[in-house]
Amino acid sequence: MGLLDVSNLRAGYGSVPVLHGVSMSIEEGSNAVLLGLNGAGKTTTLLALAGLLPVSDGDVYYDGEPLTGSPGARVRSGIVLVPEGRHVFPALTVRQNLRLGAWTVRGDSRRFRQNLGEVYSIFPRLGERSDQLAGTLSGGEQQMLAIGRGLMASPRLLLIDEASLGLSPKLTEQVFEAVKVINQRGVTVLMVEQNAGVLEQADTAFVMQQGRITVAGKGSAMLDDEAVREAYLGS
Amino acid sequence: MGAFVALGLFQGAVYGLLAVGIVMVYKAKRAFNFAQGEFGGIAAFCAYLLIVALGLPYWVGAVGGLAAAVAMGLLVERAIVRPLESSSRTILLVALVGVALFAIAVTVLLAEPVPRVLPPLVEGGGVDILGAGIQPQQLILLAVLAVLAGALAWFFRTDLGLAVLASSQDTLAARVVGISPEAVSRLVWGMAALVGGVAGLLYAPVGIFTPGFMTATMLVPAFAAAVLGGMTSVPGAFIGGISIGIVQNAGIYLLGQQWQVPGASQLSVFALLMLVLLIRPQGLLGKEA
Repeated sequence: MGLLDVSNLRAGYGSVPVLHGVSMSIEEGSNAVLLGLNGAGKTTTLLALAGLLPVSDGDVYYDGEPLTGSPGARVRSGIVLVPEGRHVFPALTVRQNLRLGAWTVRGDSRRFRQNLGEVYSIFPRLGERSDQLAGTLSGGEQQMLAIGRGLMASPRLLLIDEASLGLSPKLTEQVFEAVKVINQRGVTVLMVEQNAGVLEQADTAFVMQQGRITVAGKGSAMLDDEAVREAYLGS
Repeated sequence: MGAFVALGLFQGAVYGLLAVGIVMVYKAKRAFNFAQGEFGGIAAFCAYLLIVALGLPYWVGAVGGLAAAVAMGLLVERAIVRPLESSSRTILLVALVGVALFAIAVTVLLAEPVPRVLPPLVEGGGVDILGAGIQPQQLILLAVLAVLAGALAWFFRTDLGLAVLASSQDTLAARVVGISPEAVSRLVWGMAALVGGVAGLLYAPVGIFTPGFMTATMLVPAFAAAVLGGMTSVPGAFIGGISIGIVQNAGIYLLGQQWQVPGASQLSVFALLMLVLLIRPQGLLGKEA
C-alpha cells in the first residue's frame, strides 16, 4: 500500500464529468509525475485530492485511512496543493505569504522558523525579497513562492500543478531542481506537468488521457516510450 | 472658534467609529457597507428596549444591544453577502443600501418614529473643553474609538487578520493554505457589526435618537472619513473621522455663522474631501494598490 491509493475516482464540475475512474498508487517518498494533454483531467485530479472539488465516486486512501474532510483538514494531515497559476497573495509580502502557508500550524513558532529557514535555503531569492509584495515578483519567483508557501505547512504529500507553466526553460529547470531537493528531504511529491523534461527526475510516472490513467510506470523508462509520446503529442 | 473645534473633535469620533467598521468590511470584501450605520441603530433600539422599556440593568441592555447588532451582521452575511459573493461589487453595494433601508423600515414599524432618549453610560455634568460643554459620554466615545482603532490596526497584523486580507485577495489560494473563506466572512461581518453596535450604543445617548439616526446623519460623513483616510487604512479612518468632524464644525462657524453661507456643514466636509483627494488620490494613509 502506498502513501496515496486512488481507485476509480470520479469527479467533475457541476454535471460535467471530467474524471472517469482514476486509479493510481503513490509510494511514500516517491517523486511522481502525472502527464497528459490539456483537458485530460490532471488539475481536476489534484483539486479532488486537495478537497477543493467534490468527488462523485471512488475511493481515496491516504496513509491507510479513507481521505475525507475539508481542504483545511487535508492540509493539516499533510496534503498540500501548489495550485496551477501560482495563486500567491499579490498584495501581501513574500514573508506574509509564507506566514499564511503555515496557517494550519500557526502558533508553532519553532516549526515556523525551521520551515522558513528551509524555504529560504531552497529558494534564496525569496529570502532576498522577503519584504517585497508578491504581486511585484517575476513569474519564476512567484512559482518559487507558491511552492515555498506549500512547504510552510510541513507537507507529507506535495501536489504541484504545472509549475513550469509560462516559465523559461532555464527557470523551469531551476524549479524542477528545487522540487528534486524537496523530495530528497523526504516529502512525497506528485507533479502535474505538460513538460516531459520532468520525467528525467521522476521515479514514477502516470499518463492521463480523457479522465483515466492509461499508462503507469517508471519515469526514466517512459522517456522513450511510444505510448507516452502518443498520449503526449496526440499522434 | 475653539468650542467648534472641540465639538468637531467629538462629533468626528462618531464618524471615525463608523468609518473604522466601513474600512474593515472594505478591506475584507471590497464592498461599501451602507448598512454599517444600522448595526448601530439596532444596538441602540435593543438597548433602549431592555433598559428603558423593560427596566433591566444597563449592562444587560448594552450586551443585548451589541448581541443584536452581531446577530444582524451574521444574518446579513448569510442572507445577502454570501449569495452575492460572485456578483459585481455594485450589486452588493445596492443590496447593502437595501439592508439599511429595510432595517430602518422595520424599526419604524416596530417602534413609532418618535424621538427617544437612551440614558448615557455615565451620568454627570459636562466638562468644559475650549469653551464647549462636552458630555462624559462623548469622552468615552473618543476613548473607545482610539482603543478600537488601535485594536483593529493590530488585528490586521495577526495571522487571523492576514487570513482576512488573503481571503479577499485570492479565495482559492486561501482555501489552499487551509483558510475557510466562509468562516473569515462570518468573522468580518460579526466584527464590523460589533464595531457598528458600539458606535450606535455610545452615540445614541449624546442626543435623542430616532429610527435611522445613524444612517441619516452619520453615514455619509463616515464614508467621507473612510475615503479621506484611504479606504483601506484603520488609522486613516480614525484620522479621517476626526478631521472631518473638526473641519465640518469649523466650517459651520466660519462659513455658516460668520458669512451666512447656506449648507456650510456639508460644503466644508466635501471641500476637504476633494482637496485631499486632489493632492493625494489614494487618501491620507491609503496604499497605491
